[in-house]
Amino acid sequence: MRPILIALFLSLPAALHAQSGDEYAPASRAATDAVTEDAARAIVASAIDGHVLPGFDVLAAEAEALAGVASTDCIPGSEALRTAWNAAFDAWIRVSHLRFGPAETDNRAFALAFWPDTRGATPSALGQLLSDEDPVIGTETGFATVSVAARGFYAMEFLLYDDVLSAEAQGPYGCALVRAAAVDIAATAEAIRDDWRDSYAGLMRTAGDNAHYQSAEEALRALYGALDQGLEFDADVRLGRPLGTFDRPRPARAEARRSLRSLRNLVLSVESLRELAAILATAPGADAARVDAAFATALDRAARLDDPAFAGVDDPQGRLRVEVLQQAVQSARDTVRAEIGPALGVAAGFNSLDGD
Amino acid sequence: MPTRRGFLAGLAAATAFPAPTWADAGGPSYLTAARGPDGADRLVGLDGFGAVVFEIPLPARGHAAAAHPARPEAVAFARRPGTYAVVLDCRDGSVLRTLTAPANRHFYGHGAFSTDGALMFTTENDLDTMTGRIGVWETGQYTRVGDFASGGIGPHDVKHLPGTGTLAVANGGLMTHPDSGRAILNLPTMAPNLAFLALDGTPIETHDLPAEWRMNSLRHLDLRDDGLLAAALQWQGDAATAPPLLALGRLGEGLRFPDPSDLFRRMQGYAGSVAFSGDGARVGITSPRGGQLAVFDAGTLELVDEIPASDVCGLCGDGGDGFAWTTGLGVFSGDATPGRRGDLAFDNHLIPVGRGGAGPG
Repeated sequence: MRPILIALFLSLPAALHAQSGDEYAPASRAATDAVTEDAARAIVASAIDGHVLPGFDVLAAEAEALAGVASTDCIPGSEALRTAWNAAFDAWIRVSHLRFGPAETDNRAFALAFWPDTRGATPSALGQLLSDEDPVIGTETGFATVSVAARGFYAMEFLLYDDVLSAEAQGPYGCALVRAAAVDIAATAEAIRDDWRDSYAGLMRTAGDNAHYQSAEEALRALYGALDQGLEFDADVRLGRPLGTFDRPRPARAEARRSLRSLRNLVLSVESLRELAAILATAPGADAARVDAAFATALDRAARLDDPAFAGVDDPQGRLRVEVLQQAVQSARDTVRAEIGPALGVAAGFNSLDGD
Repeated sequence: MPTRRGFLAGLAAATAFPAPTWADAGGPSYLTAARGPDGADRLVGLDGFGAVVFEIPLPARGHAAAAHPARPEAVAFARRPGTYAVVLDCRDGSVLRTLTAPANRHFYGHGAFSTDGALMFTTENDLDTMTGRIGVWETGQYTRVGDFASGGIGPHDVKHLPGTGTLAVANGGLMTHPDSGRAILNLPTMAPNLAFLALDGTPIETHDLPAEWRMNSLRHLDLRDDGLLAAALQWQGDAATAPPLLALGRLGEGLRFPDPSDLFRRMQGYAGSVAFSGDGARVGITSPRGGQLAVFDAGTLELVDEIPASDVCGLCGDGGDGFAWTTGLGVFSGDATPGRRGDLAFDNHLIPVGRGGAGPG
């Protein structure tokens, strides 16, 4: 080997360093401490019964209630309608990390939640429907064929809260569009719940005895992936998009800012992920108390942030508070990866953890 | 008394400055980024048995390197999304040039030299339009001489087809922005493709994925001498329903896939690297998440071998008819070597040095 002594002194931007600490995990740490199949099966059952099914039950019920309210009250700006929409949206956020299986079938998760919308596809698709008075929305099957950008909770937010689109939606066509969106949300939520209850929960419970999940560890890994990706989405997208860069904060990119739900969505998501983390942290070897404390810290930071739509990212002090919250969410993710990942036997290798 | 011819040859040797070659850098067979037990990142040259022939410190974890076809020069890219790349003289580790992405651009972490080494192409993201670009650099001074649309979103890897004026680009389809980390911003609409472009950017052909596999992101490419391309894919949907993670493509032909198989689920929907065997007859993909290397017949696309290897990622055709591969646990192994385990954690991508693509099979 030829020794080479000339060091590079090039300074590279901080963005090169991983956002989470996992890159610096020891290379030798491999998946060795996998839970037993029986223990994995028990944890999967707890997650299904204590987290997944109740979450989708509530979503289906709230979405049905929303469709019911819209059938009698479709005026954008109506308080009853807004209340029902908010309740159903809350229920969605609590399960929005469970984007596998029934939520993924037929792009259902996208039909409920087209966000982030980097190109402004939602207002543009809605504007098109309203200006054309396109009759496609007249039937449930017809509406299911319109662009996913014009469906779901984020599209309804424009109809209920956006100054321009809610004004355009005042007439009979707007009323029909609000109703169609609500009925579509209810049908999608019901389909997800029914698939979970009728088949997918069974596939996860009987992992190892069916082709979809060939071991309980595989089923566990799907739940762990949902937890990990949910925290990543909260830190990098829900908080990262409005933060933008110090020189160019992007408050207009905050999620559901028109309805002032940006912080609320973040909190609901972190609360729900905390519930899932607590179940997965029952795996032997995971320090459940440490995991829970990391979530408690993040929720405490969120509770102190009096900025519902992250509008303060424009201002250095307000920005700092949102950054502190983002760091706390990232720290919760690091803790999950350090405590729960190895306990579940999820490979923690140099390459397997860090996508390329 | 020296002959006239010998005298002239000696004069030429004494006065001309001989062009450096890879032999001057210890004659590595492969390049790879790695992290040492001290936590420091480096670019290393490996011989055919995985022994280190040189190492150069890197300021941060590397992503991939491109090796100049003749000169002992490597371009090391930062982990994406990065705005810098460094051109290294592999004889002594000195930094020959620093490449900087233009304003509101970042590199995706891969680059490829033209087969004659005169140009280099980089995959880039235009943050104003969030569309893919290919940057073009001349390699004398490594100055930027142009750029053009990549034909999609999120171009990840690029290859120059030998003996042609054609580039192949793996447009991964994933829209990302540095402000949002690696989060995918366009899952509902993502549409990866394999695009063929002329060297001036003129689109020649684009091969899309079947609609039901539009969430299967093309990531990395390998190229056979006869222009056959192999792509490693990463499925963004439910791992339990992962479709094939390997695709073969060629100018004038649509994409071909192996049959759907349980293998791809066991790979957790994630292929890290792809390579043709040294003789081009087989093609392999690695999955660090599934801990395995899968080898297919490059003609029939039948699965012919599965090799378990924890955290395997780097893969390359060897100098013979087989493969060499590396793992994050420090293993260098292959068909032509008994394998060795050292204390370097090998990062993804094992880059061949001083060889073109694999043989035509």
